[in-house]
Amino acid sequence: MSVVENARLIELKDLSKSYDGETEALKHLNLYIRKKEFLTLLGPSGCGKTTTLRLIAGFETPSSGSIVFDGVDVTHQPPHKRRVNTVFQKYALFTHLNVFENIAFSLRLQKRPRAEVEKKVEDMLRLVGLQGFGKRGVDTLSGGQQQRVAIARALVGEPEVLLLDEPLGALDLKKRKEMQLELKSMQQRLGITFVYVTHDQEEALSMSDTIVVMKDGLVQQVGAPQDIYNEPKNAFVADFIGESNILAGTMARDEWVEFDGRGFACVDRGFGENAPVDVVVRPEDVRIVEPGKGQLLGVVESVIFKGVHYEMMIRTPSFSWMVHSTACRAAGDQVGLAIAPGDIHVMRRSAPAKGEGAP
Amino acid sequence: MNRKYLAAPFSLWMALFTIVPILLVAVYAFTDAGGTFTLENFSKVLDPLYLGVLLRSVGMALLCTLICLVIGYPAAYFLAKKEIDPRGALVLLFILPMWMNFLLRTYAWLALLESNGLITSTLNRLLTLLGAEGEVRLLYSYGAVLMGMVYNYLPFMVLPLYTVLSKIDPRVVEAAQDLGAGRAQVLSRVVLPLSLPGVASGVTMVFMPAVTTFVISRLLGGAQFKLFGDLIEQQFLFTGDWNLGSAMSLIMMALLLLSMGLMKGFGDKEERGQDA
Repeated sequence: MSVVENARLIELKDLSKSYDGETEALKHLNLYIRKKEFLTLLGPSGCGKTTTLRLIAGFETPSSGSIVFDGVDVTHQPPHKRRVNTVFQKYALFTHLNVFENIAFSLRLQKRPRAEVEKKVEDMLRLVGLQGFGKRGVDTLSGGQQQRVAIARALVGEPEVLLLDEPLGALDLKKRKEMQLELKSMQQRLGITFVYVTHDQEEALSMSDTIVVMKDGLVQQVGAPQDIYNEPKNAFVADFIGESNILAGTMARDEWVEFDGRGFACVDRGFGENAPVDVVVRPEDVRIVEPGKGQLLGVVESVIFKGVHYEMMIRTPSFSWMVHSTACRAAGDQVGLAIAPGDIHVMRRSAPAKGEGAP
Repeated sequence: MNRKYLAAPFSLWMALFTIVPILLVAVYAFTDAGGTFTLENFSKVLDPLYLGVLLRSVGMALLCTLICLVIGYPAAYFLAKKEIDPRGALVLLFILPMWMNFLLRTYAWLALLESNGLITSTLNRLLTLLGAEGEVRLLYSYGAVLMGMVYNYLPFMVLPLYTVLSKIDPRVVEAAQDLGAGRAQVLSRVVLPLSLPGVASGVTMVFMPAVTTFVISRLLGGAQFKLFGDLIEQQFLFTGDWNLGSAMSLIMMALLLLSMGLMKGFGDKEERGQDA
């Protein structure tokens, strides 16, 4: 997005972290975060996203590598000296203080004048929509309100970077959607860099300028949401972001790939001849046509109504395709399937990871 | 609904062995040897001699509680630190003395502090070496009694503090650091306020037995060193003046109720949170 400046605010250089000297939570991470960027670390649990956030906050020290903030090496700086603030997953509010004092905490530490503290806290209460809640005890608030206090508490000191560790994880779906929009607009209004950790791909796609997909302590892909969705670099990313049909195939030659028992024209080049590849096709890119037309012939196994579209599982000789279409077919119907060359994403075969395989 | 009957055995027990005895004590306190109503027992307690002992008991109990807090808080804080792995063993070390009979423990101090005991003789040898004249006597002194009290009651301070401190969410401490609090500020602005309920119960649990101390004072303080607990014991076992002893017990109970009420108010106020 255009508001993001090009200057690198945070640089993570060859960052590794292992907790017991054996299992590595993070392996040689290289990443930079730009000013005013909304960057999301996305991945399943144990992928290293929270570790990365905790390293930036200063709660952990890396086993190797360095963290540079605005040109200064802060790798060994304690958290209270860093110009970043954190919104914790379970809020971590101070239960012995009321809402006002929770938000005022950092200002009180800096011994700011009374009038300034009051003004800033009131501004924050207004920003997060909690006017009049100042005197309330934090444990009298709902989860969503507590989250707002946590956000206000982290923002009141005007940090350059806000770190958010699955901040919406404890909220129900409706509240979560609301807060997503609010957080995004808050970030744009205040012009602060957000580093956001989540395992929810939809959340990542709808809020971020940049998404970093992680798995097993390694970065899988960095890019804008559209790029990550449309051009996943490997089968893991394709599977994690949105729903996908992932098949093993062979790149016979440039612009010709074979999978599910036949050859398809595609737009990819440079894999060499007869190279083993993973092929990804999004469910909405498979078109249902008359039997005999299209490249594949299959039988509808199941149909689920999803609101905007129908989700159908369609069985071909060697694969079961997930297809999203506004046209409905009944289970048992014979259909043809057509895939346009541009909708076939070919990627180098990644070594199958433990515990997960392409369908 | 029927569940309340499950408490019947306990209620019966309480009635028989707590409420009835307290009533008996009250009856004794307000009557003379002949059984007629009198307030004389209470006016006797107002005797400067007895009042002096009462004051000394309260003073020593307060000092003992303070020392226990000063020693116990850092210890509990250290034990509750999440990074320490063998903390189970360390906690055990703190509790272990409690598994030994308290009389036995106090007798052990008697042996250590007497003039040819380990501590006193070592100290004297050291002093002679340094060229000091005379001998130090440790046993049968104010200090020895205080020492015995602190030794015996310290675990009652450490345990509630440890429980409260180990329950503090490490994320809350991180949040404070994140917002700019250094070590000292994390302690004074977050950990200490959050641990006040533990301080309140630790103080109560030490002060109550401390103010009623009796055997420790006799063993380590000598026959002349009396605390209020010793006086009560004396009335019942040696002088045979149950009425005076009962009046003393009632006064002690009133004192304890008062201090408990104070601590409770204190703990509640802290839990409610302070206002801006």
